[in-house]
Amino acid sequence: MSASVLVVEDDLDLLGLLEMLLQDAGHLVRTARDGAQALERVSEEMPALILLDMRMPVMNGWEFAREFRARHGRACPIVVVTAAENARLRAAEIEAEGFLAKPFDLDDVLRMVARFVPQPSGARA
Amino acid sequence: MERSGLAAPASTATQEGERPPAGAVPSRWWRALPSALPRIVIVYAVFGLLWIAFSDRLLSVLVPDPVLRDRLQTVKGAFYVLITSVLLYELVRRGQRRLVSFGTEIRAAVESMLDGVMVFDRAGIVEANRAAVQLLGASRKGEILGELERFVNLYQPRLSDGTPIDAPGLRGWLSARSDHGGREVVLRRRDGRDIVVNVSAAPILAPDSSGLTISVFRDVSRSHRLEAMRDEFLATAAHELKTPLAVVKAYAQLVQRRTPAEAPALAVVQRQVDRMTGLVQHLLDASRLRLEPGFGPRERFDLRLLVSDVLDQMRAAGPGHTLTLEGPGAVLVEGDRDRIARVVHSLLDNAVRFSPRGGPIEVQVTEGAGEAQVSVADHGLGIPFDRQERIFERYYRAHAGTLEDYGGLGLSLDLSREIVARHGGRIWFESTPGQGSTFHFTLPSRREGPS
Repeated sequence: MSASVLVVEDDLDLLGLLEMLLQDAGHLVRTARDGAQALERVSEEMPALILLDMRMPVMNGWEFAREFRARHGRACPIVVVTAAENARLRAAEIEAEGFLAKPFDLDDVLRMVARFVPQPSGARA
Repeated sequence: MERSGLAAPASTATQEGERPPAGAVPSRWWRALPSALPRIVIVYAVFGLLWIAFSDRLLSVLVPDPVLRDRLQTVKGAFYVLITSVLLYELVRRGQRRLVSFGTEIRAAVESMLDGVMVFDRAGIVEANRAAVQLLGASRKGEILGELERFVNLYQPRLSDGTPIDAPGLRGWLSARSDHGGREVVLRRRDGRDIVVNVSAAPILAPDSSGLTISVFRDVSRSHRLEAMRDEFLATAAHELKTPLAVVKAYAQLVQRRTPAEAPALAVVQRQVDRMTGLVQHLLDASRLRLEPGFGPRERFDLRLLVSDVLDQMRAAGPGHTLTLEGPGAVLVEGDRDRIARVVHSLLDNAVRFSPRGGPIEVQVTEGAGEAQVSVADHGLGIPFDRQERIFERYYRAHAGTLEDYGGLGLSLDLSREIVARHGGRIWFESTPGQGSTFHFTLPSRREGPS
């Protein structure tokens, strides 16, 4: 199992942000812009963690999660990243391992990722 | 010399089509009122005076014999009584006819009103106009008239938050004068559609109408829909604004991490973004609270601890004011924790905002008589007396347009009052211009009972 983090987010700015943030922290990051792309990425290589936006075109987070569970079960933890009002609810719906409410604090993101992915050696301080 | 104004009640406003065309004097009952009565009186007076002045002279011309004249005096008197009786009869008859006509016209006027009008006695509904029948979607008046219980079953009156109003409740409602523009009630029409109706009631003040009340029903569904749309728009707009703000803030954080030298400047960016997010959140909360009339999640919590947490946040955000908290230990209450926190935050925010020269802000959390009470006292500007009455109104800003306008959206007190009311509490204030304001709110305390 690779130590990569798969970030699934349709907003390019947010995607770029999470990518840079996690790379700065020394994580290996892969990205997908919707649920369908994410399924491809997963079938290429199982990540150590999926950060999943819920509202996306093509295949939304909920559909992706259902498909992912059907194909891969609990092969990899999922953290839901969505608007504050319903993050907890959405996470419960797809039985996600964790959730981050948007707008998120960068430290919270790093802390949440560190819960599931061991901090790689040689990470930038 | 009867004028058309005194015509029979048949020519009322409801039969306008049958009137003669232009040229004829239109039947206007109110014109007849002041003129008809004096005319008969004048005729009577003139006749009486002429009689006194000339009847004896006329008699002496007609009857030269003084003995016969004396005898005829009695006949003359009888003749006078006869003539005046006819005049009196005519006077009374005309007056009565006018009363009948007046009653019919009033009835026609009420019937033509665009607002629904209903008359209630203690048992039920005794009269309803056409607009009321239409408002309720009934096919005829008979469907509405009758016992209050029947009316309640048919039209299911409810408050705007969905609480049903039963017959005794409705009776209480209708027997009290509504002095402040009526109250709003939701009714289910016969076609199943719900309408929001503003009802204002008043007892009918007439000697023989004890226990009768008249109510005016006005359909305000449209303005309610508009209000709901505005709230929905605000909620959507606020939501849409939050996303880009979050992205800006996150990038500011990222750049701050990467280039620590720029930390102070980027901290300002973040602080301002936070401020804007706070405003947007406020807008979102206000509109959402309006859209969802029910309660949020309820939990038991220590009100003092909550106030102390909010105070810590405020201290961190705004220096320059001394915030102190007094009160005994834990005060347990039950309710929507986040929203109560918002009330406390709003009151503190106002206290800070309207104490521009700094100074102490004293917060007290006390408990007594089944109630927990929070008081926030400042020594700031205070509220001008002539504006105190309106400060809980939505969007109202007491200091708007003055040199002491320190901003704000004019939402927080309206929102606070709504939240406190939903918890069964009260909110009020005392304020002296130039000396400061103290705001209080209460919540039912939950010292005992299941946890």
